[in-house]
Amino acid sequence: MPTVIKDKACIVGVGGTPQGRLPEHGADDIAIWAFQLALEDAGIEKSQVDGLLVQQSFGGGGDIKNVGRRLGMEPTIASNISHQGEAIIMAASLITVGICNVVACLYGTNQRTNRNRFGHTSYNLGGNLNDVYGMSNPGAVAALNFRRRMHDFGATQEQLGAVAVAQSKGASMNPMAVYRDALTIDDYLAARYVIWPLRLMDFSMISDGGFAVILTSAERAKDFRKPPVYVHSIGAQASFLDMEHPSAMYHPSQVPNAKMLWESSELKHKDIDAMYVQDAYTPNVLSALENYGFCELGTAHEWIQGGRIELGGDLPVNVNGGQNRMSYMVGWHNTFDAVQQLRNEAEERSRQVPNAQAALCTYSSGQWRETWSAIYRR
Amino acid sequence: MAYDKPMPQVTELNRLFWEGARRHELLVQRCHPCGHMWFPPLPNCTRCLSTDIEWVATSGRGTVFSVIVYHQGWLPGYKEDLPYDVAIVELEEGVRVISNIVEIEPERIEIGMRVVATFDDIDEETSIPRFKPA
Repeated sequence: MPTVIKDKACIVGVGGTPQGRLPEHGADDIAIWAFQLALEDAGIEKSQVDGLLVQQSFGGGGDIKNVGRRLGMEPTIASNISHQGEAIIMAASLITVGICNVVACLYGTNQRTNRNRFGHTSYNLGGNLNDVYGMSNPGAVAALNFRRRMHDFGATQEQLGAVAVAQSKGASMNPMAVYRDALTIDDYLAARYVIWPLRLMDFSMISDGGFAVILTSAERAKDFRKPPVYVHSIGAQASFLDMEHPSAMYHPSQVPNAKMLWESSELKHKDIDAMYVQDAYTPNVLSALENYGFCELGTAHEWIQGGRIELGGDLPVNVNGGQNRMSYMVGWHNTFDAVQQLRNEAEERSRQVPNAQAALCTYSSGQWRETWSAIYRR
Repeated sequence: MAYDKPMPQVTELNRLFWEGARRHELLVQRCHPCGHMWFPPLPNCTRCLSTDIEWVATSGRGTVFSVIVYHQGWLPGYKEDLPYDVAIVELEEGVRVISNIVEIEPERIEIGMRVVATFDDIDEETSIPRFKPA
């Protein structure tokens, strides 16, 4: 079980490019740019990196053959991984078993500039069955989910709005955030519906940008210039059953994932200073709070009220602004921000979670194909 | 007016479903050895991995499991038809299918509402199953 990798690997470097629109750069340019920033942060040369993991970009780019060729490196391991969580799991595992000493994980995309469209996304072996019924945009899954929550648990749209409001507060203090205006609940409720019951501010943006994370072993970490952030505990669970058909509500595959995560740690929920949720759509935040055990199933829409998930609240969630306010970086922005928070180096001091010791990062792909979580600690 | 929404792409995997729809039957797949039923179609049973699969007619009756209303459109035909609904219907047989509920305003569709299949005859070869209040 994952206790083997507990605290064995550390994040010793992170890099993040500007976010939003980077029309002068291709996806691989951006990934390499982020890598350079992470090398600088770690205080090492690229020749010291012996593991290279790259996530391919939606809309093209990120092929390990191309990125590896351009980097002029000869790492022990060079591979494409399918998401940020897998990058952290693979890196920590390679380091723990001693196959690699220093692993760099990269992601770059220019899908905003490329006008990548998720509107037609449909995973379906059976042909265009979803398109025939007008079911486009992966946000439909989140909308069906939240509509069911309204029925099952009496959730209201105004309650859901607390997610976007909280994240906008963090984004308003985050220099890297694409949308920096702080929203009120009235702003949220005045926004147009995209797919009822979800509004514009419940949907992730599409943006250009890149992030890189460099990991090494706990023993080697002292040789790096920044304090290490430990990969303390990991949870994961794949779920293919609902890929084509979103009938399982509330992301149930996160439950065994969370069990694995907490069983590998002595930390409790109260020890988590900041939480990050892959919020392609805001209802994902509600499910994650429930499935990772911060509140009971069917109560998160009430639990988040009163500023509880805002900066200064009991459990700040997505204090970077999340994907609907900061940038659409499929979880990479969350590990980046968690590391900054745990190093006590949030650029805008008002955005720093005071004395942050542990952060929980969670990920679920839009179609629930895979879920992942990690507790990082300083 | 000509039907301008996406037409079914008939493949070897879904051909019998669309042929059934043309006869105004709503079919799902059933595993012959283990009895597992599912939709959308797959080449094998996900429970026992058998490829001995048959298409069986359902009652066409079910209830609305969840429903959403599009206020922004991406697909041809639907873009011009806003707002429109997409629903998950749970059939009496237990299988859940994606569809549209017709003959009712989108905002009046409730979870738990009883619905029954209705078939839109698009042309000589194609009928698209949808649902209407039962």
